Amino acid sequence: MERWVLISIIIAAYLLLTLTVGLLAGRRSSDSVAGFVAADRSFGLLVMYFVTGASVFSAFAFLGGPGWAYSRGAASFYILAYGALGMAPFYWMGPRAASLGRRHGYVTQAQLVKGRFPSKSLSSLIALVSLVAFVPYITLQMRGAGIVINAVTDGHVPIWLGAAVAYGIVIVYVLSAGAMAVGWTNTFQGIFMVVIAWALGLYLPFRLYGGIRPMFERIASERPELLELPGLTAAGEPWSWGAYSTVIIVSAVGLMMWPHLFMKAFTAKDDDTLRRTVILFPTFQLFLIPIFLIGFSGVLFAGEPQAPDFILPFMILETGLPAIVVGLFCAGALSASMSTGDALLHASASVLVQDGVTQYVELDDRAQRKLMRSVVLLTGAIAYYFALDPDSSLVVLLLSAYAIISQLAPPVVAAMYWRRATTSGAIAGLLAGLATALFFYLNPELSPFEMHEGVLGLIVHVPTLIAVSLMTPRQDQDHLKGFFQ
Amino acid sequence: MSLKTARTLTVVYLALMTFFVTWPGLLPFAHVEPFVLGLPFSMAWIAGWVSGSVLVLYLLDRVERRYRSEGDPARGRDR
Repeated sequence: MERWVLISIIIAAYLLLTLTVGLLAGRRSSDSVAGFVAADRSFGLLVMYFVTGASVFSAFAFLGGPGWAYSRGAASFYILAYGALGMAPFYWMGPRAASLGRRHGYVTQAQLVKGRFPSKSLSSLIALVSLVAFVPYITLQMRGAGIVINAVTDGHVPIWLGAAVAYGIVIVYVLSAGAMAVGWTNTFQGIFMVVIAWALGLYLPFRLYGGIRPMFERIASERPELLELPGLTAAGEPWSWGAYSTVIIVSAVGLMMWPHLFMKAFTAKDDDTLRRTVILFPTFQLFLIPIFLIGFSGVLFAGEPQAPDFILPFMILETGLPAIVVGLFCAGALSASMSTGDALLHASASVLVQDGVTQYVELDDRAQRKLMRSVVLLTGAIAYYFALDPDSSLVVLLLSAYAIISQLAPPVVAAMYWRRATTSGAIAGLLAGLATALFFYLNPELSPFEMHEGVLGLIVHVPTLIAVSLMTPRQDQDHLKGFFQ
Repeated sequence: MSLKTARTLTVVYLALMTFFVTWPGLLPFAHVEPFVLGLPFSMAWIAGWVSGSVLVLYLLDRVERRYRSEGDPARGRDR
């Protein structure tokens, strides 16, 4: 049998297994909106841990992470630094949001913000902003899946087909089972990813250089600029400290504001589960170390992949690994793509329907679930359309997705922790922050110290929120009681 | 340790971590040698702060848990 056929069979078996896990999980979920969006608030520690880890580690971490280490060297360390910082405040914020969710029946973060700051336009703005940030993110996951399958089958399976098959499966289980399927498939995929990453990350340096230290010693003597912080830009020029530092800040602030992650607060079984997930999260973060080792192992290797993001499949194919290992790796990378993609698709539908449509039209539980399922299909189709376009500028857009999503942090934090905040303050802050981020996104040369546009947005956003809140009348005491008791 | 001390120390750790993994706190530690477990020093430095956060959060949780079980759920739940 030809090598690529064997690899395809392994991948097919893996995809089938994922589908089975997803469909079986769905049989445990109740047929309601709370069941579809929040899995009846039933996730225990094991599922929560992997749901969170696997949805954070996307195709970007699995393909982009090694790609960054390979082409930009020490710049990739930022990915290691921000996760723990972004997650830690959730130790307090998560249970607080969960308790408000139980008390008021919230299943999305926009509902929480709107509950505290009653305004249809604020809720719709958050829904819109989340969607704008979501589509390029989903597109990248799809393209990542397509690229992996294409690369390891020697081009026999085109990108459009690989992406369509992988995401066809995702859509089937998200549609049929909602949050419950996302939870159980992520557990399965998360375990898979961790094992594959550590195995390869240790194998490659030992096989090619005789160890991790000998590998870095050789890089330090032959390509010293790669190991010098803050690393290199995509063009190979030295990166600036301003950009390196603010990318860490904006990613840390934005991380838990992604609706698919924030909504985990509403899916947890109890507050202790949520807290323990936060404590254990940095252990998931350390799995970036083998990911980087894979990228660094390619630096002094003869030959070059067609783009830095292909370094992982390239190394696997070029180092003569047996077909079974290649197939398993491919499944690991697909896991990374699919476990984020499913959470994103699921969250985009929940957000659009709960925070957008139902503001204006009354729908019963049944109609809402039906609409959410249509939105999953629609979002999937839009993202797929962009995924097929090789010259699409969505990669550029994704870099700014964090700038947009991090602007949700001030209103969310103010809603839960600042009694004096007002609706006008929240709206004014959000608009000012978004406008600033957009301005510096379009005029990057004006940014002081090459700071990330998201951080500049926050620098304008927070004072605006505070100033306008203080200038407008306090919120009603009875209203505040629902949030601060 | 009181709940307030534990929370303050956790916040201090996170603030220090933010300082030491970005400019300018990272500058004195941004070098390749000595290698730690085979990794360049700067990478091991960042990984060390990440590992430390597991310990800090675990210790915080022990204190928070004790306070919650002492029948003061509101203080344990909310910051």
